[in-house]
Amino acid sequence: MKYVFILKAVFHSISHRKFSVFTSIFAISAAFAFLAAIGCVSFGLAATAVNSSLSFPLVVGPAGASDTTLVMSTLFNTDKPAGTLDYEFAEKLASDERVSAVFPIARSDSYQGVPITGVESAYINEISKGFWDIDPMIDAKDIFGGKNSDCAVIGAKAAMRYDMSVWDTFFGSHGTVGDEDAHVHDFKYKVCAILKPLNGPEDFAIFTSLKSVWEIHRHGHHQHHHEDAEDEEHDHEHHEAEDEEHDHEHHEAEHEEHEHHHEHGEESAYGKITAVLVKTKNPVFTAALEREYSENGFTSATDTGRTVRKLLTYMNKAEKAAGFFSYGTLFLVMILVFVTILTSINERKREMALMRTLGIGRFPISLMIFLELFIISIAGIVIGTLGGHALLAFCKPAIDFELGINLEPFFFTEVEIRGIILTLAAGIFLSTAAMIKIYRTNLVEEIARE
Amino acid sequence: MAGSDTVSVKNLTKSFFDPNGKKAIIFENVTFNLPAGAVLRLSGASGSGKTTFMNVLSALTKPDSGSVFFGGTDVTRLKEGEKDRFRAENIGYIFQTFNLLSPFSVIENVYAPLAFAGRLPQDFKEKALISLQKVGMESFAAQKPYHLSVGQKQRVAIARVLFADPKIILADEPTASLDKNSSELVKNTLLELNKNGTTLVLTSHDPIFDDIRHDIDFNLETGALS
Repeated sequence: MKYVFILKAVFHSISHRKFSVFTSIFAISAAFAFLAAIGCVSFGLAATAVNSSLSFPLVVGPAGASDTTLVMSTLFNTDKPAGTLDYEFAEKLASDERVSAVFPIARSDSYQGVPITGVESAYINEISKGFWDIDPMIDAKDIFGGKNSDCAVIGAKAAMRYDMSVWDTFFGSHGTVGDEDAHVHDFKYKVCAILKPLNGPEDFAIFTSLKSVWEIHRHGHHQHHHEDAEDEEHDHEHHEAEDEEHDHEHHEAEHEEHEHHHEHGEESAYGKITAVLVKTKNPVFTAALEREYSENGFTSATDTGRTVRKLLTYMNKAEKAAGFFSYGTLFLVMILVFVTILTSINERKREMALMRTLGIGRFPISLMIFLELFIISIAGIVIGTLGGHALLAFCKPAIDFELGINLEPFFFTEVEIRGIILTLAAGIFLSTAAMIKIYRTNLVEEIARE
Repeated sequence: MAGSDTVSVKNLTKSFFDPNGKKAIIFENVTFNLPAGAVLRLSGASGSGKTTFMNVLSALTKPDSGSVFFGGTDVTRLKEGEKDRFRAENIGYIFQTFNLLSPFSVIENVYAPLAFAGRLPQDFKEKALISLQKVGMESFAAQKPYHLSVGQKQRVAIARVLFADPKIILADEPTASLDKNSSELVKNTLLELNKNGTTLVLTSHDPIFDDIRHDIDFNLETGALS
């Protein structure tokens, strides 16, 4: 009964200071929701990165490409490729006895901002966890085989966002989104399959055959040459002559090579690729191949695991910095709550003195103060943590859809758990300080002095 | 030899320092025995130290020197926790400002002190209702104190004392802001309790208490004890 009364007094006091209590709880909650968001987003990004890096231990690209560019432009589809390689290079790499498989890729156009990447059927087989939908006339194991070079395999989220279904057709734009010089090719892609979600960057990508990429570029170059010759009335009506020139500058590296072929009349059966994803037979070979292909002067190579770890380290630093910012905020909030409670104690000294005259001991009175501060801290932690995670769960589809981050809304990160422990510790420390203050105060004499 | 419930005050002295740092004596070397069921009337002008004397008697304030014995124990030398228990078990306080605990309902106010002390009787709710009934407040049992009038609050404070059945009642201007009927009720309740053996320490400027029998009159203003 004694403790029921103590709790009752505590909740009464809390309910009588609604505004300051609400503000305190809200401030703690907001800081915890922020911590939850930092943790989950960071974990989601890391999980995506690690998943992607596990599939292909090595990426080989043209000389001069940095490790980050190689990884970002291939596994994450976010960076522009640094240049091109001959397809024959991939064939040569495949014949290396240390290599178990190679997956040449050619970053090409985009559709409404979704990158279109030219790949071989083997790549689709490698990444796919099955199809949401597939053209029944297509061989799922050799999706770009036969006359299916115009086939497009759509990532789950890209299909959802642009409402794409099997048999739909679309045209890709050359250049990236937002580029004023981006223009639409008249090459028509046909949707042959929609991938099941992979919880990675592939969900927001479009894959087509290498052949189609090469065809577009050959066609594109013929067209550009034609345009150069006539210097008027080209397909992309909205482009001015200067814009066109500008457009060429962007793809100079690729074009140069094509022009070279045209000039010498050596049209190859194969075209260019932008990188090769490599599976090696063991990690020692990965290191050896990376060294070899980084030092030959023609290519650059990177160990995806190491590069992703490097990226994660930066991300981790950012997470920690944000975490420290949150801890600082939490600390200030706790001080604010403490000051609020002390002010409230001063306002309630008379009532506490009265309790003492009625024989209510110093311990129950001090315990009430302790509990008030402690309950506010706990409420802030619980509401902030649960609310933050619930909010993340609620926003997960939108975040997933808009940012391509596969959130784990109910994952508790170290930053968050540390935040909970620190706030609990601060709550206990400050509550005890307030409790000791009230325990040591001779309330009756305080009142008598007034 | 004083009885077990006799209050024995021995050489009690209390002073304070005024704002100028000058020491002012409130009472000095006060000695008397107050047997169980006796009435001690404290008189003197406002600010003469009547409330301070009550606080010393109930071990809320430490005297400069001297002792207050109750049942053979010097309550001035008890530890803080023991003082709290002593007050909860023996003292009933009635203030001019009623001092009900705002978090609790009327009935909870009646039994709160014993609840906090962890010594509620089994049928405490029935007993609390009976106490409220004696002061005509049973129908307000579930109300919160802020719904009550001044007179009703003091009745609840009286019911709290009735419920605790203390050995000593310290009544500090108990009728100061009450109407005639409420004052009569307070006076009669105090007298009834006193008749049943409860020691009463009273300070009041209300003429209603002028005719009350008292065993000791201690004038704090003059220091005279009669």
